[in-house]
Amino acid sequence: MKVVVCVKQIPDPADPGALDPETKTLKRDMKLILDESDSYGVEMALQLVDAAGEGEVTLVSMAPNNERSGLSTALAMGAASATLVSDPALQGSDSLTTAKVLAAAIKDQSPDLVIAGSESSDGYTGTVPEQIAGVLDLPSVTAAKSITVDGSSIKVQRQTDAGHDDVECPMPCVVSVTAGVVEPRYPSFKGIMAAKSKPVDEKTAADLGFDADAVGWAGAGQEIVDVAEAPQREAGEIVEDDGEAYTRIVGFLEELKII
Amino acid sequence: MAATMFGSDLVDTQDHHPELRASVAGVVGKFGRKYFQDVVERDAKPTELWAALAESGFLGVHIPAADGGGGGGLADYNIVIEETAALGCPVLSLVIGSITAPIITQHGSDDMKKRWLPGIANGTLRMSFAITEPDAGTNTHRITTTAMANGDGWLLSGTKYYTSGVDEADSILVVARSGDPDPSGRHRLSLFVVAADAPGITTQDIPCAVQAAEKQFTVFFDDVELGPDALIGTEGNGLRQVFAGLNPERVSAAAINNGIARFGLETAAAYAKDREVWNTPIGAHQGVAHPLASAYIAVQQARLMTARAAALFDEGSPGAGEAANMAKFAAADSSLVALDQSIQTLGGNGLALEYGLADLWFVARLHKTAPVSREMILNFVAQHSLGLPKSY
Ligand SMILES: Cc1cc2nc3c(=O)[nH]c(=O)nc-3n(C[C@H](O)[C@H](O)[C@H](O)COP(=O)(O)OP(=O)(O)OC[C@H]3O[C@@H](n4cnc5c(N)ncnc54)[C@H](O)[C@@H]3O)c2cc1C
Repeated sequence: MKVVVCVKQIPDPADPGALDPETKTLKRDMKLILDESDSYGVEMALQLVDAAGEGEVTLVSMAPNNERSGLSTALAMGAASATLVSDPALQGSDSLTTAKVLAAAIKDQSPDLVIAGSESSDGYTGTVPEQIAGVLDLPSVTAAKSITVDGSSIKVQRQTDAGHDDVECPMPCVVSVTAGVVEPRYPSFKGIMAAKSKPVDEKTAADLGFDADAVGWAGAGQEIVDVAEAPQREAGEIVEDDGEAYTRIVGFLEELKII
Repeated sequence: MAATMFGSDLVDTQDHHPELRASVAGVVGKFGRKYFQDVVERDAKPTELWAALAESGFLGVHIPAADGGGGGGLADYNIVIEETAALGCPVLSLVIGSITAPIITQHGSDDMKKRWLPGIANGTLRMSFAITEPDAGTNTHRITTTAMANGDGWLLSGTKYYTSGVDEADSILVVARSGDPDPSGRHRLSLFVVAADAPGITTQDIPCAVQAAEKQFTVFFDDVELGPDALIGTEGNGLRQVFAGLNPERVSAAAINNGIARFGLETAAAYAKDREVWNTPIGAHQGVAHPLASAYIAVQQARLMTARAAALFDEGSPGAGEAANMAKFAAADSSLVALDQSIQTLGGNGLALEYGLADLWFVARLHKTAPVSREMILNFVAQHSLGLPKSY
């Protein structure tokens, strides 16, 4: 079984992020790390290949400056190899371009299954996995909390507000995975050392057949016209307990439809 | 919470070190200071933490891959120990593993390696280390525990004390006299691996103030029979051989203290940012901030020296001995200053067990005395680095 996992490398969320005032996009010229929301997909893929008893997990990532720190983490977890698409021409790509580029990198590998996180932790568009499926003309399942292989199809528990839907989908297909549904392994020492010699295939936009003016800022179908500070959270209400404060708390919870 | 305040770019010597730090911190982060305090309070062992470190291969990073280890070096083990301590879990047994494994690796027979190294690496076997005696601590030449020739083996008799972790050990690496004295009349030393439950061994607990999971023991050897396979390396060559373990032990002791210092300063900085006594956070008062900042600098210096000492040991550099001594010296001193100032920053809470600082004190303080005392490091540097005459 061959599983490709899309992994994004992002600035460390523990550090305060900064916007480039010129491009109005997040500064990403520092050391990047594996997006935690993709570590769930990597873990799921590794478990699926383990359960299948054969096959491998490979990675696809698009990142600036040939950045591979985040890829190393996923390789150390157990992925076999990676394709890294990096090209100054790709800077400014919107989500559809990103999906086209990733799809082109995935296509050659003819995977049985493509896994991605539901949304990245630094961009949050939450559309790339479905766009990849669209570009590759593959069926897609979103918000998976578990995946099992059943012959030539997969069974997916799809998270919903009420619980989950049981969905079946033929392979090959694209599945986006909800964050927090599995416990991603921490790389073992052997995994960390082995990652050093795992192949990372670097590709440019041109290698994947894209003209420079079809990608990046030039090819983006969107433009960021303005960025504004998120509104400050309003001060909370302080209730002094005069013996009746509990009625206010109950009322508040009722208002939120929690009780 | 992963400890992240201390940047490690300054100290890391190999490109996979950041990844290793993150992974160790992830594994240990599931346990943390409260877990460790609870283990110590219950007089129990951190079995779950040990198993988790073992499963990720962290206990054997410094053991060759051919012997079941990770095939890395002391530079990696330094990170494992420091990150574990930095999350409030100073595991002294990790220091013991830094002595025994390299001695067996460098000087043990193939059978001995096979017997012990895979188990030490995967956490299923433990070996204590016994060099100190009631009348021979700092002065190893005074060791009187003796292995007398007996058939094709030896009979071991004598007393060791402050031997850590004998209650958990499968075996004890014992430094003993054996064979003929050297031409100057000094007794020669040899190293033996002795089963911890061998007939003739009795132990007695030495209650210590160190709030760690490991206990210290006086160990009595009374005509303990040793077969020929108990000897490590060459008979009479023990003093030279034991240094394969003593330098890593110094680096590892430094690593624990660097981790403790990080835990203290991170706790203190977070507290000083929050706590308001007048109308600014206490961290705004330079009387609070500057001692913490200067402690931070000293701890970073100690970490840098420790990492370099580990790298020199891995390279087989003759400078490793001096570096390991100086790293332990720097780490012991700077961690005590850092921990003391951290406790001070928390006011009364600095003494409360809830914050987990005060009960680290004697673990950190231990390494001013052991494995080699502050004075003996100064003696070493005075004599060997500065070429000054020896006073003893
Ligand atoms: C918690 C704990 C765990 C330990 N674990 C182990 C273990 O697992 N295995 C093991 O073998 N040992 C262990 N030790 C023993 C430790 O290594 C020794 O205590 C240490 O080496 C000091 O030896 P000593 O106690 O005999 O001190 P002594 O040799 O009696 O020294 C006493 C003091 O005199 C000073 N001094 C001595 N000679 C000189 C000199 N020439 N110049 C200046 N000052 C001098 C020393 O620095 C020291 O301050 C442990 C000790 C402790 C407390």
